[in-house]
Amino acid sequence: MTETYALEATHLTKSFPGVKALDRVSLRLKPGEVHALLGENGAGKSTLIKILTGVHRADDGTIAIDGRDREISSPIEAMAAGIGVVHQERNVVPEFTVGENIVLSRMPRRAGRVDWNTVRSEAKRCLALLDLSIDPDTPMTRLSAAQTQLVEIARGLYTETNVLLLDEPTASISANEADRLFTVVRRLREQGKAVLFVSHKLEEVFAHCDTVSVLRDGKAVLESSPLHSHSRDEIVDIMVGRALAALEVPDRVIDDSAPAVLEMRGVATSVGHHDVSLAVRSGEILGLYGLVGAGRTELARSILGLDRITAGSLEVRGSAVTIRSVRQALQDHRIGYVTENRKEEGVFLGQSVARNIAVTVWAKLERALGFVSTKSERSLGATFVGDLDIRVSSQSQLVGELSGGNQQKVSLAKWLAAKTEILIIDEPTVGIDVRTKRSFYDLIWRLADEGLAILLISSDLAEMVTLADRIAVMDQFAITGELDNTHDYDSMSQSIIRLIHGTQVA
Amino acid sequence: MNRSAASFFTSQNFTLFAIVIVGAAALGVTSHGGFFDSISVTTFFTFLAVPILIGLAQMVTLAVGQLNLAVGSIGGFTSCLAGVLISSLGVSPWVGALSCLVVGAVVGLINGSLVVFTRINGFIVTLATMTILLGAQYGLVGTRTISSTKWESVYALGRASLLGIPVIFWIAIAMAIVLRLAFSHTVTGRHLLASGGNPIAAGLAGISNDRSVVIAHTVSGLLCGVASFVSLASLSGVNQSVGGDWLLSSFAAPIIGGVALTGGSVAIFGTVLAATIVRLVDSARAELQLAPSWVNFVVGAVVLGTVALGRFRAVRAARRIKQPVAGSSVTIVESAQ
Repeated sequence: MTETYALEATHLTKSFPGVKALDRVSLRLKPGEVHALLGENGAGKSTLIKILTGVHRADDGTIAIDGRDREISSPIEAMAAGIGVVHQERNVVPEFTVGENIVLSRMPRRAGRVDWNTVRSEAKRCLALLDLSIDPDTPMTRLSAAQTQLVEIARGLYTETNVLLLDEPTASISANEADRLFTVVRRLREQGKAVLFVSHKLEEVFAHCDTVSVLRDGKAVLESSPLHSHSRDEIVDIMVGRALAALEVPDRVIDDSAPAVLEMRGVATSVGHHDVSLAVRSGEILGLYGLVGAGRTELARSILGLDRITAGSLEVRGSAVTIRSVRQALQDHRIGYVTENRKEEGVFLGQSVARNIAVTVWAKLERALGFVSTKSERSLGATFVGDLDIRVSSQSQLVGELSGGNQQKVSLAKWLAAKTEILIIDEPTVGIDVRTKRSFYDLIWRLADEGLAILLISSDLAEMVTLADRIAVMDQFAITGELDNTHDYDSMSQSIIRLIHGTQVA
Repeated sequence: MNRSAASFFTSQNFTLFAIVIVGAAALGVTSHGGFFDSISVTTFFTFLAVPILIGLAQMVTLAVGQLNLAVGSIGGFTSCLAGVLISSLGVSPWVGALSCLVVGAVVGLINGSLVVFTRINGFIVTLATMTILLGAQYGLVGTRTISSTKWESVYALGRASLLGIPVIFWIAIAMAIVLRLAFSHTVTGRHLLASGGNPIAAGLAGISNDRSVVIAHTVSGLLCGVASFVSLASLSGVNQSVGGDWLLSSFAAPIIGGVALTGGSVAIFGTVLAATIVRLVDSARAELQLAPSWVNFVVGAVVLGTVALGRFRAVRAARRIKQPVAGSSVTIVESAQ
């Protein structure tokens, strides 16, 4: 072990309330190496990157740069340690120019003043590395999404770094633009820099990376292994994990002749969907699979009337409808939506369990003079706490004190209380540990058996193959295909990935 | 510098400038030229200094995405404190008057620190300090008025002029220029705007948002202190009513001037011009001998109109630019992190 690593992270551990995001994860980057970091959504990749760049602090573990232990507790310390980063989220200051955004982390100054000439020349230099001819004086708001992402990348090249972390840098740029990035990456490799590359696009990974580490549920399931000793399928298997995919699936009987209760025909929306057709029957679970950013949550929003449907038709129980608000979706059409952002949109953290569940039906619990009876609220709560097996100390316990899985059950229970017949469930098990996931799956199956039509949105491939009866695949705001789910993980995952990459590789 | 040259004649400033010219001309006509005689002009500029200064004080906090409800009470408290120091405790007039600046900055520093260390919303923090200072102001002077005869030398400054324009107006303009330079040419100024524009991006770039908030509140307090100093120099005395009508104007100037309430932008020229418009409304009220409440009515309506217009423009601009590219409107957030 005489080799010195450009970056060596050892046993990094990080917990967030209710979930262990990283569990003793180690990562070693050699100088002159392009290292792929893979894993599904929620596997902990971004958490790892945020720890390496000082955004989060690890609960445990060490980071060494060039063989020396370094304390990295802020982005400034990460920069001082020679770590550069392109974060996954686009984080620019919209009021500033392109140039200023690029140099934001270290403003060039002369005699205590910002040296605007150097701002421009430095920004130009970084943009030129990517063959971009954007004028540094352009206001940030004039750029397209792809250009914004390119500016983010240029920003990562601004400071002299020995280690460059790229967190899904190519998510919204074209293959052509990505190629310029990879030219820079190759140059950095020749200069002996270490590059960590996070991507969902396996083609890119196999074309440009030397070594690979894989995270799953916060654990490193593959550590610094030579990439080309693995096949693509092997890597996908390692990412997804067989254990969960092999879950026992109950026998589900679906009446194929039953009419659809929710159907979209050739729908286009104001946010960019086109040619979306799908149908869900009562008692059926239709999966809607796609990568982050494919437009799935946005489709749910358009069903709920939050975004406009501009073409095609939305039919509920056989008749065409126009839904203008969530209230209308619920009251007129019995459609509920379990959000993916549980804490922000799904529950009232500071309110009791009973009150959270009753929120959709207050109007019904209302008595004389507009008072809501606490007693009926509690008895309603008791029904669902028992029915969904929500673990609470009492009904008046605040939802903020519950674990993620139990919060999610509360978030779902309020729609059941409102007697919805069509339920859109968005990323049901995000941030929920593996054991609780299983009980959640049982619950979703049971609801379908009881006659609910369920539209399930998930980025978790194993979850999709386990839960859904049929799977519609979405990519770039269009449905690229629909599959009957055989629950055979190998064949299903391949077919699904083909449906995504069919449009993405081209 | 070409960014400042470009922003000087952006449509907003140009519109405001035109309103000032037209408004002044209209006042000139209705007063049969009386509005342009030297006494009226001097009065106009003398009492323009405070609206500009408090508008700038509010603008600085808006720039970082905060606000300062204590603008008026900082001004009222510091001016009454200075009055008491000079009249009752025998402090020399200049030292007493300039204490406004120090005390104002200290109150601002306290506001900023409270926001940062307690994580309590800036609205609540400044609402609380506002109320405390209002009480303190009343405690200092009660119902009496301390006459400016106690600080003749400072009061003389209020009547001095330079190039035919009152010196205290030049003081306000000097502050505006300093802020203009600070926000466009110092790293600290740019950091403040970055924190206001996108605190997450600023944090990831190694900028301390906490530092930005504390600096903004401190500078805001300091500017309130300057406004208070100017009041001492221009009013015939100080009492519990000083600062009482500053709050609405302090918001009106930056909002009409084009500052986004969401943070990340400043508009110094716009704020100065908008303060001038507010002052013109006040002059018109005096000229037409209407009740003072009309000023509040007009300023309130203009603020509402400006914000509504801005919102309308933003929505229209968003529609024009974006028939979004697939995925552009998506918040990409890796789960559980």
